Amino acid sequence: MEFSGTQTIDAPIKHVWSYLLNVHNVAACAPGFQSLEELEPEHWKAVISVGVGPVKAKFTLDVTRPEMQEPERMVVKGRGKAPGSAVELSGTMHLSALDADHTRMDWHAHVVVSGTIASVGARLMNSTAEKMTAQFFDCLKTNLQGTTHSRSASD
Amino acid sequence: MSTEMHHKHGLGEAYKRKEDARFIRGEGNYVDDVQLPGMLYGDIVRSPYAHALIKNIDISGALQIPGVLAVITGKDLDAAGLAWMPTLSGDTEAVLALDRVHFQMQEVAFVVATSRYAAADGAAAVDVDYEPLPVVVDPHKALDPDAPLLRPDKKEKQPTNQIYHWETGDRTATDDAFAEASTNGVVIKQDMYIPRIHPAPIETCGCVADYHRATGKLTVWLTSQAPHAHRTLFAIVAGLPEHRIRVISPDVGGGFGNKVPIYPGYVCAVVASLKTGKPVKWIEDRSENLGSTGFARDYHIHAEIAADKEGTVKALRVHTLADHGAFDAAAQPTKFPAGLFHICTGSYDFKHAFVDVDAVHTNKAPGGIAYRCSFRVTEASYLIERMMDTLAHDLGKDPAQLRIQNFIQPEAFPYRSALDWTYDSGNYEAALQLAMKNVDYEGLRREQAEKRARGELMGIGISSFTEIVGAGPGKHFDIAGIQMFDSCEIRVHPTGKALARIGVQTQGQGHETTFAQIIAAELGMSPDDIDVEHGDTDTAPYGLGTYASRSTPVAGAATALAARKVRDKAKKIAAYLLEVGEEDLEWEPGRFYVKGAPAKGKTIQELAFAAYTNCPPYLEPGLEAVNYYDPPNLTYPFGSYICVVDIDRGTGEVHIRRFMAVDDCGTVINPMVVEGQVHGGLTQGLAPAMYEELSYDEDGNIRGGNFQDYLIPTAMETPNWEVDRTITPSPHHPIGAKGIGESPTVGAPQAIANAVIDALAHVGVRHIDIPITPWKVWNILAEKGLLAD
Repeated sequence: MEFSGTQTIDAPIKHVWSYLLNVHNVAACAPGFQSLEELEPEHWKAVISVGVGPVKAKFTLDVTRPEMQEPERMVVKGRGKAPGSAVELSGTMHLSALDADHTRMDWHAHVVVSGTIASVGARLMNSTAEKMTAQFFDCLKTNLQGTTHSRSASD
Repeated sequence: MSTEMHHKHGLGEAYKRKEDARFIRGEGNYVDDVQLPGMLYGDIVRSPYAHALIKNIDISGALQIPGVLAVITGKDLDAAGLAWMPTLSGDTEAVLALDRVHFQMQEVAFVVATSRYAAADGAAAVDVDYEPLPVVVDPHKALDPDAPLLRPDKKEKQPTNQIYHWETGDRTATDDAFAEASTNGVVIKQDMYIPRIHPAPIETCGCVADYHRATGKLTVWLTSQAPHAHRTLFAIVAGLPEHRIRVISPDVGGGFGNKVPIYPGYVCAVVASLKTGKPVKWIEDRSENLGSTGFARDYHIHAEIAADKEGTVKALRVHTLADHGAFDAAAQPTKFPAGLFHICTGSYDFKHAFVDVDAVHTNKAPGGIAYRCSFRVTEASYLIERMMDTLAHDLGKDPAQLRIQNFIQPEAFPYRSALDWTYDSGNYEAALQLAMKNVDYEGLRREQAEKRARGELMGIGISSFTEIVGAGPGKHFDIAGIQMFDSCEIRVHPTGKALARIGVQTQGQGHETTFAQIIAAELGMSPDDIDVEHGDTDTAPYGLGTYASRSTPVAGAATALAARKVRDKAKKIAAYLLEVGEEDLEWEPGRFYVKGAPAKGKTIQELAFAAYTNCPPYLEPGLEAVNYYDPPNLTYPFGSYICVVDIDRGTGEVHIRRFMAVDDCGTVINPMVVEGQVHGGLTQGLAPAMYEELSYDEDGNIRGGNFQDYLIPTAMETPNWEVDRTITPSPHHPIGAKGIGESPTVGAPQAIANAVIDALAHVGVRHIDIPITPWKVWNILAEKGLLAD
């Protein structure tokens, strides 16, 4: 499954980049996020719990960031498994400065779901995955703007 | 119904099923009902990926689960030489995957535990590292030169994904007939796809394996349609002595071909019992059954008919691409890799025909088995009946009249088809005319014309199918080399009651009733006095099992002939007791009497008693007989079905208003059992026509792995079946019977498809692939501007 979208974020590109650089900020937006543990630099173990239709599964994901070009491009990859199911994720974020205070984020996600969760949830899979992906990037935008605004307010 | 009536009428009587006494009380004994002291339970770890390398299997977590005793992996099996097993089509299939998985749900490890729950928890805790590989789900793409090789384990003998190319018929004569028709007649062509479906028996597959270390005897309770053949395969695969293997197929809740192959779970349970010395039960769940065991169909067909301008058919040309999945586990006789698909000239007098089939591997579950049909007859019958309708439509002819014009004539039997089958007997027009009379065919056509003028959509579909069932003869038909004969042993006890054991096995067909009736008819006894046993290889005579409608044609013949042997011996005893020569005796059902002196006679019961108490000194005591029957030919049941549908122009829903099924299975043993078989079979013919399809997404995820997504028709969806029959006995069967169990599954789908297409033919619709869902019809209505406002 391939999904993509564009967000306009009311924050400077450097701020967006540094926010995304903190993997805990990113992970917190993953729907069903439960925990994140650093295994080694640039290599994490994440646990998220996902429900598709009648099936729920807790995925343990192996997460890396194979590509980073500050401040404009970041690729996050994850491969995870749950009993009887497996998932491969690849998310690419491309940032460009619209002006000093606004950043455009073009994102693209490639998702492959296998096993019971894909099979039993087949009819709901595409819409669920699309919804969750959109939620993730919406969450990032909201949190980013929240941190910007709160900082502005406190400044 | 009095005993006296049975006495006179063993055949043709609607005698109530003997087995129903236990079934309707809930006192059947299925494999999952078997409970043994100390029994352990198995569960299978399955691949979530359709194609991947196995990098590592970590069983340590599973062994921490309370109750988990062992985890068996492919490497463990490999050490014992059991990692691979032969399929019924000469391929080898992984019992547990070693370094690679080839389809989603493939077996990777087997967890043995003290309870079913612990086994499931253990299976969830086995940690397998996979490296995903490119997936091939489209059989056409499997043939691309750059397609990944899906079976590197056999690249020496099969360097591509193509399993076989098989062809039959006279290609040159067929091509010549097409060349002639393209100038002076008509040539019609149509592509059609018969989707992958699943038999989905209500009882899934499973077994209890019980190995006694002290005696060395292995007993396996198995959901098996062919217990003897399975015993022999266990002996060959596991290397156990065959006399120390006992396969018991107890009550089986539907087979439909799904329970012909051997599955990895059976082998794992046996290995686990050998390893632990304890009985091990393995029962698969619904998703495992739908996702990993034998599927059916999955034929991509291109068909062509050459005919003259009047619609008299000349030649048939068919090319088929068959998707067999990851392992070629098709249940076919060795000689015929595409089964009996070349019965596809059907009920029509084609002078020439040519068929070729290419079979390929994909990353899908292995198969394909014969789902309630005789080795691909359903595919053959569907294609020819769809093509005859297409020809009629293209020529502007009535489809019933076009069929009548082309039927093989009654006097032409035995009829040798262009693809070299010898049809035993038939009267196709009689069956079609009866069906047409029963539904008032002319009246329906008038109604259709009136409705069409008003903008309403109504269709009439016909299927005048011919089957080919009852395999052997043994010289042409086998399972893994074992010839397809069958058998019956009859013991008449001193008090005149009898026990019969048969080499076939019932999964609901009613053998315990109909086989008792065959013996009752031959010996003039009541079927009440005859019990029929089957399914236990330690007691029943060797036979090849129940599938391909072969029970009555083969084991039924053995049963009649065994009964005649009993009767022949009884005659000798009667001659001794009555002090006359055998030639002076006359037989009436149940009794020998002296010619010209009917009062002087002996009943079969008196003769049975004498066989044990006063046997002639020159005869062996006792009254028993056994017969092993290798049929001289197959039998060819046929029928004509007419389906009437109305289409909802708002929703695209198809409503089956009438379905008239006229069947001819030769001699009818029990009309009630036959009618029951027809009702069940028609429902399983409705299923692929309108509901069922086992599809996969591009990543090889199965999209029908449960009954929420895989729609089997229930009573809600099933229309009122109307049935009738003609009777054309088989000339070579001892009682003239042909087999009925599969006719309706074979004959029905195309009657429904033809009806829907007939309803839309006037707006240019020529073909719709099954299943014909409301969504497909709605889209056609939208495209043709026919949607109701």
